[in-house]
Amino acid sequence: MEFDFSAVITYFPTLLKGVGVAALVALAVALMSVLGGLVVAVISIYTNKVVSAPLRFFIWLFMTTPLLLQLYFLYFGLGEWILIPAVVVGILGLGFHYMAYNADIFITTIKSVSGGQYEASRSLGFGHWRTILYIIVPQAFIRSIPQLGNNMILMVKDTSVLSAIGVAELVYASQYAISVSFRPFEFFIVIAAMYYVINIVMELGQAWLERQTSYRH
Amino acid sequence: MSTEQQTATPMVEVRNVHKRFGNLEVLKGINLTVDRGKIISIIGPSGSGKSTLLRSVNNLEVIDDGVILLDGVQVNRPDMKGMAFERHINHIRQNMGMVFQHFNLFPHMSTIDNVTLAPRKLKGMDKKAARELGMEQLERVGLAEKADVFPNWLSGGQKQRVAIARALAMKPKVMLFDEATSALDPELVEEVNQVMRSLADEHMTMLIVTHEMSFARDVSDWALFMDGGVVVEESAPDKLFSNPDQERTRNFLQKHLENNK
Repeated sequence: MEFDFSAVITYFPTLLKGVGVAALVALAVALMSVLGGLVVAVISIYTNKVVSAPLRFFIWLFMTTPLLLQLYFLYFGLGEWILIPAVVVGILGLGFHYMAYNADIFITTIKSVSGGQYEASRSLGFGHWRTILYIIVPQAFIRSIPQLGNNMILMVKDTSVLSAIGVAELVYASQYAISVSFRPFEFFIVIAAMYYVINIVMELGQAWLERQTSYRH
Repeated sequence: MSTEQQTATPMVEVRNVHKRFGNLEVLKGINLTVDRGKIISIIGPSGSGKSTLLRSVNNLEVIDDGVILLDGVQVNRPDMKGMAFERHINHIRQNMGMVFQHFNLFPHMSTIDNVTLAPRKLKGMDKKAARELGMEQLERVGLAEKADVFPNWLSGGQKQRVAIARALAMKPKVMLFDEATSALDPELVEEVNQVMRSLADEHMTMLIVTHEMSFARDVSDWALFMDGGVVVEESAPDKLFSNPDQERTRNFLQKHLENNK
């Protein structure tokens, strides 16, 4: 078989738009899942069972069901009553999914900060919550960077799943081009290369962050 | 407050303090007075309750019975609950500097930020004034040149000196030292002792739990020997360390001497 990349070149702007959508979705999901995960972790560690039990149930629910099913549920299931744009559903779905995984990481790293740190802060006169804010959470965050990075790389690849509910990210963008050019192989190769490049950039970013913070915990 | 009252009220007063961990009573009715500008050392074997007593003074351990006063204000308040007590104790603790065996510097902040965090966040000091204050305190412990270094780059002795500077930055009325040199390599002990001596020269009120007998003897105005949750003996340090009345004190000092040969 012969390769012919001319169709890819013709539709390259469409693919780039797909990359743009995927990147924006990924950025929104990263913000939502990291900040949300941190809040979920802090609440589930430091508050009573009445508050934390529903959150633990939430984590459990999102970790034990497939992402695609969660997206279908939010888009088609809830779509029976309320019509939310696909891209919003995609961000919420991926966001909740990875929020659960990130919360799991933060729960471990928050607990790994020594009790001496808490006592030192309290002995200076800081209250319980300010100690958590200034002393515990920043250290836990630094310790979480390697695992958060891994999760975010998985998450970027999972943005492709959003094509199933019609979000115009990279894979979805290629589907139209493939259907008119009959060149699936060429498109898939180029798309794979694009994901690869995105992930290399993310890994470099993560390595840089880890270097910056390596001696701070 | 008049000067007369100031000299009359002890800085720290511990009255008939009891503390239990489950069924084990670790403090069995302790009494202790630290007068303004005085230095009290507490010695005793591991498990004697001396660290628990020190930690009780700023409520890191919650006592079961008795009264603790800082400058005439009651520290433990069994009558207060929840947020009211939280506010009370946070305020009290701002007046007490605590130095821990394992330093407990905040590793995610530079040395100067460790020192200035509390003045900035708790006293609302602006950045510039806080930095000035922080540099002053770091100079006091001889580490001004390490201001922008992170704690993990410091030696144990340097870490402990920064921890002392951090506590001093809140201008505490009393400094509590919980075995401040026990985790240090022997060659690093002296630099920390020197800083503590300089505080003594400035008439800082100090309550010191230590294993450093010769240091305690040199620097203290009064010394206590604790064992089994009680104060077995207390006196001027010269007497306690060279000619104690109690058999238990003599045995402890004898053992300590042998171990350090």
